[in-house]
Amino acid sequence: MQEIRHQFREDLRELENQVLGGMDLVAGQLDRAMESVSYQDVELAAMVVADDDRIDGRYLEVNQGILSLLARQSPVAGDLRIVAALLHCIRCIERMGDQCVNIAKLVPLSGHEAPKDKEILDAIERMGMLARSQVVQAKEALSGRNVELAQDLVRQDSEINALNRRIFRRAVEIGDDLELREWGMFMILVARCLERIGDNTVEIAEQVVFAVTGLFRELAAQGNSGDSALS
Amino acid sequence: MSTRRTHSNEMTTPDINEDEHPDLGALGAPVAPTGHSVEVQELNAYYGSEQALREVTLTFAANTVTAIIGPSGCGKSTLVRCINRMHEEIPGARAEGRVLLGDEDVYAPKVDITAVRRAIGMVFQRPNPFPTMSIFDNVAAGLKLAGMRGEAVRERVHRSLRAVGLWGEVKDRLNRPGIGLSGGQQQRLCIARTIAVEPEVILMDEPASALDPISTLRVEELIAELKSRYTIVIVTHNMQQAGRVADSTVFMLDGSLVEHAPTQQMFTNPRDERTERYVTGKFG
Repeated sequence: MQEIRHQFREDLRELENQVLGGMDLVAGQLDRAMESVSYQDVELAAMVVADDDRIDGRYLEVNQGILSLLARQSPVAGDLRIVAALLHCIRCIERMGDQCVNIAKLVPLSGHEAPKDKEILDAIERMGMLARSQVVQAKEALSGRNVELAQDLVRQDSEINALNRRIFRRAVEIGDDLELREWGMFMILVARCLERIGDNTVEIAEQVVFAVTGLFRELAAQGNSGDSALS
Repeated sequence: MSTRRTHSNEMTTPDINEDEHPDLGALGAPVAPTGHSVEVQELNAYYGSEQALREVTLTFAANTVTAIIGPSGCGKSTLVRCINRMHEEIPGARAEGRVLLGDEDVYAPKVDITAVRRAIGMVFQRPNPFPTMSIFDNVAAGLKLAGMRGEAVRERVHRSLRAVGLWGEVKDRLNRPGIGLSGGQQQRLCIARTIAVEPEVILMDEPASALDPISTLRVEELIAELKSRYTIVIVTHNMQQAGRVADSTVFMLDGSLVEHAPTQQMFTNPRDERTERYVTGKFG
């Protein structure tokens, strides 16, 4: 027996590498978006907004490549599942890129020298670290077809969800200072963006489980049982 | 074994008096309105000392399309040829095991082999109309062989040509040679010839492999239409074709059945690693 369809395999590998590289782009964008929040760096935030074109371009490349692969190579079985998973993953990557842009766009709006609340800022930074960690772990789970690593993302994501709720509660009771309250409201929006990035990594994890097992399990629902509407 | 059927659909011709026209291979069983299931049990087939099928056991459900896929030499054509006992026509070839059409064993002693082949029709890879016969006579040949004559033959021929979607294309030239039709039309003519004798089962051995893409799609559409009246087994090298036409798919390897599952499962999540490797082209 000899392996055949070399060109197809090469094309599929290339598409997967583009998707994995897309997650690196997201991690880089997230780093800069979080830095711009922490240091109120409006210029860095503007770079994050401009650089989203690279992620959007990657989305279009992969999307086109997958359509071409489907039309020309008719993948089946495990190959079909991974192609379907890649299509879903690149959509998640594009959305995560958009969330980074949303965070960056909030930076100039939240005031140049706005008063800050340390508890909220610490929680936001912790959420950013966790979100980044989840993006990296989602990449590892996909490239290694690692179901356990994929399922572990749900555990991490529950911490992000908890922080999101904590930030909301803290912002509500932050005090009477109008500027501080306004900043707090912006931080709620930043937290919401980070929480969505976490959700997107869980969706990628679901696709990894599907690609490997052929079964679709909604991991997010398992992890969020008992969470409030904010999660 | 039932080789005669009554119909409750458009193919019915209530004005045909079956008493005037002999049964098409009467084996005495009651008539059935639709195709029968085919059950293959512990089937082994040989070409001389070489074993081509090994303990194959599976059921082809009634009124479904089952595709058989597998690499060359895996035994898929041998399997379908065993179902209507054509395998044994090859010198030195033999088969052991049971093939049940409904409740009756095709390999039982005293079974009329001609009746078996009428009940289990076959369409081959290359269209093979009788070269000296007209379009009409090609379809009528089996009927006349069975003793049918006159108006009943004409009606059955017209009905069969309509069933395969060929009527509109040939109704004005029924007396022209069948060999003058295009390849796709010839294959549909052969299918019309097969269904004219009203079989229970239609076996198709790569029926579209010699056809152009449009003719292939027409034959595939025809298969989908025919399955409401017949049980269809199709051998194909084209996995996309199996995916398009078959309700279930069988994967064979080295004379053995590896996996038999709903087609969607076979092409999205096969259970057996060998099936996965074959359908994804990791070996050929």
